[in-house]
Amino acid sequence: MSEPDDPRWLDDVAGELRREVPVRPAWRARLLDDVARAPKPSVRDIADDVFGDDEPALDRGRRRWSITVAPLTGLAAASLLVALGAGVMYVAMSSKTAGADESQRAAHDGPSAASPQLVSRTPTATDREVVRFELSAPRASHVALVGSFNEWNPVATPLSRDPASGKWVVSLRLPPGRHVYAFVVDGDVTADPSAPRAADDDFGSPNSVVLVSSPRT
Amino acid sequence: MGVTQPDVPGFNLATMTDAMLVRRVLGGDTAAFTTLVDRHAAACTRFATRMLGNREDAEDATQETFLRAYRSLARYEERQTFRTWLFQILINRCRTAAVRRQRRHRMFLVDDTAIAAASVRPAVDAGDLRAELKRAIDALDPDQREAFLLKHVEQLSYDEMAAATGIGVSALKMRVKRACDRMQWMLREGEPSNVGT
Repeated sequence: MSEPDDPRWLDDVAGELRREVPVRPAWRARLLDDVARAPKPSVRDIADDVFGDDEPALDRGRRRWSITVAPLTGLAAASLLVALGAGVMYVAMSSKTAGADESQRAAHDGPSAASPQLVSRTPTATDREVVRFELSAPRASHVALVGSFNEWNPVATPLSRDPASGKWVVSLRLPPGRHVYAFVVDGDVTADPSAPRAADDDFGSPNSVVLVSSPRT
Repeated sequence: MGVTQPDVPGFNLATMTDAMLVRRVLGGDTAAFTTLVDRHAAACTRFATRMLGNREDAEDATQETFLRAYRSLARYEERQTFRTWLFQILINRCRTAAVRRQRRHRMFLVDDTAIAAASVRPAVDAGDLRAELKRAIDALDPDQREAFLLKHVEQLSYDEMAAATGIGVSALKMRVKRACDRMQWMLREGEPSNVGT
């Protein structure tokens, strides 16, 4: 290690402190056993406070808001009715411009012309659009689609090879909105090279995003 | 082993992003949590060990961190990296463990008397730089040690540190600087100083 007066001393100190502290297999096994016994988390959970009640103060302002409902007085009830009426009018007006807003968002997120493609704009009973995903991966033996629309399930949406183009393709009916997705190519997650990247990438394995606009009426 | 990864063709948990794994756990695939544990346990154990000074307390804090993270996974928001969110829990577990231990053993160095007592060199070889380094890092104020480790060992950005600690960026920069000054002094002089305290 260099001397403390040497400009490199900090790098040496940090490097020494970065030495790995190996995870003991017995500790890992015990942790995973505890996890297996714990109740399964779900998106519907309102779990205990993750930071616990016994911790030293830490940015308590980050905690979720709670709303207390108190009995309404006559004046307050009248005000609420007026506010609700205004809200209904606002929603009705906003829905007329929703399509335009979606188009603006798509433009902001970058080009999305190539893939995936909307292949049908006919409104369905469920107001879903048919979206065709395709990927050129000539040497792949298995390609699947994972995304927010299929719970990132790698076996739910396999792609098949199109004999004409040689590309891997699949078509799905998706509801209007923003959908984050990726391809799983022979087990490896990869973004769609021809679609915009999602902003919520992490850990070096990016996702792509497709925007499905509301069906034309 | 309690949780095992299913053999699913065409699917490799190891290449999925943290956010994808979280979604899979919330969708019912608890095996995906094993990948999150394997991805982050080493860094968490290292941070806790450097913070708390011993392996046993560090493993307890890390275990508690992962269990809390698992139970509260639905509250994770993807605008923050999973690692930062996990460290947010871990930092609090370490703070809590330190306070508990301080109550039990009064081991932490919070006053001049304690600092002076810590300046007595342990019986180690003069060339044992690791022991000197451990002594220096242990002698830092916990706040400074926490900031130093997050910045220079775990290599979080100041924004990530702020999110994980609840402390402002300016205050964190000051803590890191003071920690560096103090460690440099101690490694040069061989004893704790009042630099930056």
